Amino acid sequence: MQPTHTRLDDPAKTDSQTLLDVKDLKTHFFTDEGVVKAVDGVNLSLKRGETLCVVGESGCGKSVTARSILRIVPNPGQIVSGEINFQQRDGEAIDLARMNPKGREIRKIRGGEISMIFQEPMSSLSPVHTIGSQIMEAILLHLPVSRQEARKRAVSMLDLVGIPRPSEQLDAYSFELSGGMRQRAMIAIALACEPQLLIADEPTTALDVTTQANILDLIRDLQQDSGMAVLFITHDLGVVAEIADEVVVMYLGRDVESGDVDAIFHDAKHPYTRALLQSIPRYDSRENRRLYSIKGTVPHPFARPHGCPFHPRCDDFIAERCNSIDPPRHKLSQSHSVRCLLYSAADEAPPKEDALS
Amino acid sequence: MLWYIVRRIVYLIPTLLIVSIIAFVVIQLPPGDFLASLISKAEETVDQAQVDALRERYGLDEPIYVQYWKWISGIVTKGDFGRSFEWDKDVSDLIWERLGLTVVISLLTLAFIWIVAIPIGIYSAVKKYTIGDYVVTVIGFIGLAIPNFLLALVLMYIAFRYFGQSVGGLFSPEYIVADWSIDRVLDLLSHIWLPVVILGTAGTAALIRVMRANLLDELSKLYVDAARARGLSELKLLFKYPVRVALNPLVSAVAWVFPALVSGSAITSIVLNLQTTGPLLYRSLQSQDMYLAGSLILLVSVLTIIGTLVSDILLAWIDPRIQLQ
Ligand SMILES: Nc1ncnc2c1ncn2[C@@H]1O[C@H](COP(=O)(O)OP(=O)(O)OP(=O)(O)O)[C@@H](O)[C@H]1O
Ligand SMILES: [Mg+2]
Repeated sequence: MQPTHTRLDDPAKTDSQTLLDVKDLKTHFFTDEGVVKAVDGVNLSLKRGETLCVVGESGCGKSVTARSILRIVPNPGQIVSGEINFQQRDGEAIDLARMNPKGREIRKIRGGEISMIFQEPMSSLSPVHTIGSQIMEAILLHLPVSRQEARKRAVSMLDLVGIPRPSEQLDAYSFELSGGMRQRAMIAIALACEPQLLIADEPTTALDVTTQANILDLIRDLQQDSGMAVLFITHDLGVVAEIADEVVVMYLGRDVESGDVDAIFHDAKHPYTRALLQSIPRYDSRENRRLYSIKGTVPHPFARPHGCPFHPRCDDFIAERCNSIDPPRHKLSQSHSVRCLLYSAADEAPPKEDALS
Repeated sequence: MLWYIVRRIVYLIPTLLIVSIIAFVVIQLPPGDFLASLISKAEETVDQAQVDALRERYGLDEPIYVQYWKWISGIVTKGDFGRSFEWDKDVSDLIWERLGLTVVISLLTLAFIWIVAIPIGIYSAVKKYTIGDYVVTVIGFIGLAIPNFLLALVLMYIAFRYFGQSVGGLFSPEYIVADWSIDRVLDLLSHIWLPVVILGTAGTAALIRVMRANLLDELSKLYVDAARARGLSELKLLFKYPVRVALNPLVSAVAWVFPALVSGSAITSIVLNLQTTGPLLYRSLQSQDMYLAGSLILLVSVLTIIGTLVSDILLAWIDPRIQLQ
């Protein structure tokens, strides 16, 4: 497959501030039991230097979206349609969705322009290689430096992410480090080649609260210094409120609402977003209110509901409409859009014959 | 690392002591002593002075710990393993060449197993559920299922019928009792491949399964994705990370290959007429040739212990997680 190069002056992409623009991405898993539509029409866009938070319940396709961007979706997963437009450092825009996932071009992007840190710092480092060998590997792959220079750079990266005695720790193995230190090491590896975009897939979920805060601060500081953009995946709305510029709320493999952080927290439109916000514990409430929880559970991936995927759990369910019409993306303002029939005019939403297929 | 090795070698000493005691107990278990059976079997009357000399030499009238002491100190200081009454030779004259051949065959078999099984296991894991994987799997199970001695007979027939090679044994007839020379070594090499293939087949089949399973486990680990996300190419990635980790458990195979080949393959060795320790041990046990049996058990145990030590050191060397545990 040949990647399609789109010049900057393409009228559709005049906004040079946009670093990543994912359009209607669909990534499906073709398992023996059937097709799992893990990601089924996600849109998101991220400007240079900004932080975009992707939130949603477990299993809604956040990690698969992230892996799709780097083209490291595990078998039997495949991107079936959509675009992942990314603006390279040299100004050229490319569609990552069309690249050969084993090719040289995507490998230059991985680690060089887009880096990723994972949910499990315990297992994302090799058990039999030193931290240093893994950082230096990233450096030597992407930067024209000698081994000695790579080693020096690796030490300064460990220093940068706050690992004590960095030149000693370079020769440490992952099992010699605590979870927090391992995640710092992962961050050091990810940032070693100064990527334009850091994808952080729930980087603090597996860590204790204090360490979580430290890691968040670290990512924020590094972002301010380097000007990289961050795609931050989490299901912790507290974290979102703290770090996000923009927010995308995902449900069953698609974006149900997206907007800037103020719009999402103070003017949420989608019933799912509101329900998520209501389920945050509040310290200021006097009475011992029971925590709100969304009724029902996330449906089985093989049993996607017709119409709006959220309708079986929705309090504002409109009979006859929500279970038959697949809601389109409706722009409420320049930066706020929602997929919900409560907000889109009837004529905007032509009923679909077969919403399942 | 050095400290680890030293510690392991120190631990070795009590183990060897216990093993030698067990081997000696095996010698002593049957009723009577070997001189009694020697005398009872002998056609003519045995010279009483000679019998007394032997009694004195092995301390047969003394308490068992004295006998043990005489036996073990003879081995350690003079390399005297006692006498085989069946062969009427010193045990040490009987065992060294066979032991040497056994070690050579064992090591070659191990090398054969690794060289064949590791690449096939890797292929089979990377190409999971493809035709190639299925073919390898089926052949592997056949290799596991066929008894070695049957395979030996079939291969001997083929080698003899179609290649006209003198089969069985490790040497052509003219070299069996010859002194070591270049020609004898070459003759050995031209014979040794057959037992190596036969003895290695089941191990190869098993190791393919182990390698495949290990690698499949590792391939789905997050550190592999993380390395891929760094921009490493698929081939480099495969060998630097998951294959490297999947190989670790295989090193422990060094430990079991000696006892398996020395004792477990006795039947195959008899079928193939190999001058290794397996058939010798088998016969010595049948005929209650106890100094020979005890010495073989002792030496095989020592080899096994050394094999374990080597595999542990290798494992500690390639897997940094070991030493700290
Ligand atoms: N290798 C795979 N094979 C089949 N289905 C998969 C595979 N990986 C993920 N999926 C499916 O994709 C869907 C989305 O998974 P994903 O890991 O993206 O969820 P997530 O939003 O990241 O959840 P979490 O918050 O638990 O990390 C799930 O329904 C899951 O079953
Ligand atoms: Mg996830």
